[in-house]
This record gives sequence, C-alpha cells and structure tokens, in this order.
Amino acid sequence: MNFGILDWCVTIVYLVASVWLGIWVKKYVENLAGYMVAGRRVKLSLGIATFVATELGTVTFVYFGEMGYVAGFSGFIIGILAMVAYSTVGRSGFIIEGLRRRGVMTIPEFYEHRFSRKVRLVGGLLLFAGGVLNMGIFLKFDGIFLSEVMGFGPGALALVMTVMLLVVMAYTILGGMFSIVVTDYMQFVFLSIGMLVATIAMFVHISPEQMSTAVAATLGTAGVDPLANPRFGWTFVVWILISSVAAGALWQPGTSKALSSESPAVAKKVFFWTGLTFSGRAMIPILWGVAALAYFGPGQGTAAAMPRLMGAIVPTGFLGLLVAGLLAASMSTYSAYLLAWSSVVTRDVIACTRPKDFPEATTVLLTRIAAGIIGVFLLLFGLWYAIPDTAFQYLYLTGTMYTSGALGCVAAGLYWRRANNVGAYSALILGAITPAAFLLLEKSRDVLPGWLHFITDVNIAGLLSFFLAALGMVIGSLVSQRISPPRIMSAEVQQ
Amino acid sequence: MTEGALTWFILYGVATLLFFGIAVVVAIRGIGELKDLLKR
Repeated sequence: MNFGILDWCVTIVYLVASVWLGIWVKKYVENLAGYMVAGRRVKLSLGIATFVATELGTVTFVYFGEMGYVAGFSGFIIGILAMVAYSTVGRSGFIIEGLRRRGVMTIPEFYEHRFSRKVRLVGGLLLFAGGVLNMGIFLKFDGIFLSEVMGFGPGALALVMTVMLLVVMAYTILGGMFSIVVTDYMQFVFLSIGMLVATIAMFVHISPEQMSTAVAATLGTAGVDPLANPRFGWTFVVWILISSVAAGALWQPGTSKALSSESPAVAKKVFFWTGLTFSGRAMIPILWGVAALAYFGPGQGTAAAMPRLMGAIVPTGFLGLLVAGLLAASMSTYSAYLLAWSSVVTRDVIACTRPKDFPEATTVLLTRIAAGIIGVFLLLFGLWYAIPDTAFQYLYLTGTMYTSGALGCVAAGLYWRRANNVGAYSALILGAITPAAFLLLEKSRDVLPGWLHFITDVNIAGLLSFFLAALGMVIGSLVSQRISPPRIMSAEVQQ
Repeated sequence: MTEGALTWFILYGVATLLFFGIAVVVAIRGIGELKDLLKR
C-alpha cells in the first residue's frame, strides 16, 4: 500500500470537513429556488469555482490520462477545442443568456415556455437518460484511480465506489445547490492543490525530453498530429467542437451554474473565465498520461497506467493531498450531477405527466428521493457495464444523445421564430438515434451488414447526430407551420 | 525533442499558467463571495 498515516490523516480530515460543511449549509435552503439554483445569488468567482469543480472530476483525470497514454500529445487538441467552445459561449452569451433571462431552473423547462409541456416531457426523458448513462461510468473510473493511487489494487474498487457515493449523497440530498456551491469552493481549492502536486511530482521524475522520445518511439507522427491520428481526424475535430458548444450551453450540471448566477451578465462572465481554464483542464492530466507512457512504456492497462504512475512517484504526505484533491474533484462532480438529473426527472419527467407542477415542498422531497435512487443505480451500473472504446468518446457520445436535439430545440427556440412543436420533436428524436444505435450495436459490429458499419464509428455517430437534429428542426418546422403554429413566447422574465 | 512536441509543450505551459492563475484569483476572491452568499 502506498498510503502512509499522514496521508490517511489529510484524507479523513478533508472528508469529515466536506460532509460537515455540506450538511451545515442545509439551513440556508428556504424554498425550491434555494434548493435548485442557490437562490440565484452566486457571484463571479464562486460561479467559476463551482463550474470548474463540477466539470473536473476524477473521471476527467482518468479519461484524459488514458487519452495521453494512448494518443500522446495529439489529445491536447481536445483542450483547445473545449476552451474555444466554452469561451465563445461565455463571450457571446449564446443560449445561456437567454435561458438565464427567462429564469428557468432546468433546460427542458424552456421547452414548455417555447413549445409545449409534452415536448418538455420528451426532452426531459432524453436529458435524464443521456445524463445518467453519461454519469454511469464516473464511479468506476474514480474507483480505479483511487484504488491504484492508494495502492489497494482492483479488489477495493467496489468499496471505494460505495464510500464515495454515500458521502456525496449525504449532503447533496439534504442541501441541494447551496451545499454544492459551498462544498465546491472548498473542493476547487483542494483539487487545484492536488493537480499542482501531481504535476510537480511528474516533472521531478520524468523530463519533457523523455516524454517526447517515448511518444515518437511508440506513436510516431500520430502522437503529435491529431489529424494524422486514426482516433481523431477531421470528423472528430468537428464533432467535438460542435459538441463542446452544445455541452457548454446545454449540459444541465454546467448550465445550472449559469442559471444560479446573480444576473445574465454574471452568467456570461462565469462561462468565459471557466472556458479559459478548459485547455488546462484537459492538457494537465493528458500530460500525466504521456508521462506514464514514458515511465512504464506501452502495454499497461490504458485506464490504470496514469493512476499507477501517481501512486509510484508522489511521496507520502503529498499523496494524501493528491487523494484529497481527487476526492474533492469526484464529490463536486457527483453532487452537481446528482442534483441535475434528480431535478430533471422530478420536474421535467414525473411532473410533466400531470397537467400542473407539484407544490414546491413535494418537488424538493421527490428530488431528494430521485437522487437516492439514481445513486444506487450508478453504483450497480458502474460495477456491471463494460465501457466501449475510450472513456472520453463514450462520455461525449452519451452526452450527444441529448445535447444534439437540445441544441436544435433551444437554439431554434430562442433565435428562430418559425421553430414549432413538430420541429422540436424531430430534433430531439433524430438527435438521439445515432448515439443510441452506437451504444446498442457497437458490441455486435461483426454481425452487422457492411453498409451499417459506419454507425459503429464513434466519431461519425456523434457528428451525424447533430446534423440529423438540425435537419429535423428545420424541415419539421417548415413543413408543419399550418398544423402546428409556432408559439410566441411571453415577455422575458428577469429573476 | 521533436518540433511537434516542443510546440505542444509551449501551448501546455500557457494552458497550465492560465488554469492555476485563475485558480489563485478565484480562491482569494471566492472567500468574500462565500460570506455574502451565506448572509441571511
């Protein structure tokens, strides 16, 4: 085992402080807006901290580390694309400004304002399915990282996963967004320190020259040129760029930070500054993966190589800081995701099967119950499911299942007067088809006819999804203007 | 070191400075905002 007494002390103090703080903040939750969007009182720095902490989980380190191990420096392109996409959304206010101005708490809520309650139900179902599937592998990857770094090995995976989940559920279920914002701030500080510790340890043991030599020897040109790398290419670049814009504007856990901001102007600034951190968010762990390639050589388990490196090079005492940082990263991500998906299933799915919304107290109660059920599902799913291809593409594809249709619906809903219900249904359903087909068919590629093999290419499935959704919105709306006249939205509400 | 690797290392340096720079500013300013948020 790599973990010493000092490491245990740091980790336990951190865990106890997190849970105590998260539960203590519960007293500030006075109503539904307090629970879901922290009363819409979050300012710029706190908004950036909570957004970065949400989007940086241990799973992020693992899939980017894996990317560095198998693709070398080429993987850096992902960070640049994400930075461009999120900063552009922040600078322009594309979608997020309009959503925040209307005071919605979840994205499907906008569908009801602009289209109908049934569109909200369909959109909510897709968002919930894509979101929970997306989150399904978090626990497993986080468990792998922590087990390897601490030196427990794969045998402790289930135990580590269960403990992490229980701790997060304790405060998320009770304190909602208030607990998330407050604990995220502390977790942001810890995860930044953890990342710094890991990066310094990496450069102490492995020089840039060694990394360059290892990438050149193992991967050749594909290790430095993303367009020459068979994992990437132009299809990947275009898909990830569009997908990052869509995820930036419409991925409920992230967008909820904009919806919690004290004004639309602050929401834009939060996105812009957070976007600037997104190149580092990807490049820092990708280089850890490249370092693992230089340290161990090829042939290690791709997901476990980088965590194993950390366990080997980070000294006792600092390892506790790194693990506290990893736990911080995981917990902040789980909490935001649990709240996002439980809010969506309660307000946009269950409530939308009725003509009117539930009273506020019932909504909060149902959201808490849903968060508990989702937590149990995640534990079972994470232990059972074998992830296709690399984790990064799995995560983007499950996200695309929802974001492609949502991009069509919300962008057209905000900026195109002729968008109507038929266009919205078409965009949502067509956007979900190719990612769902990929997830179902990828494991049986050999029995598929040749002309269907394109659907098992993750990059093509992802990109096609956005084209189909856009096509569905435009054609669906244009051919049905008479039978389904577009709804004119009520005046904008600033809350 | 190859030319491609050197280019990526320069971009990596900029991205890392940006990440930790913003982290320091946010950590310092965030304390005050946290106090504001928790005022009743």
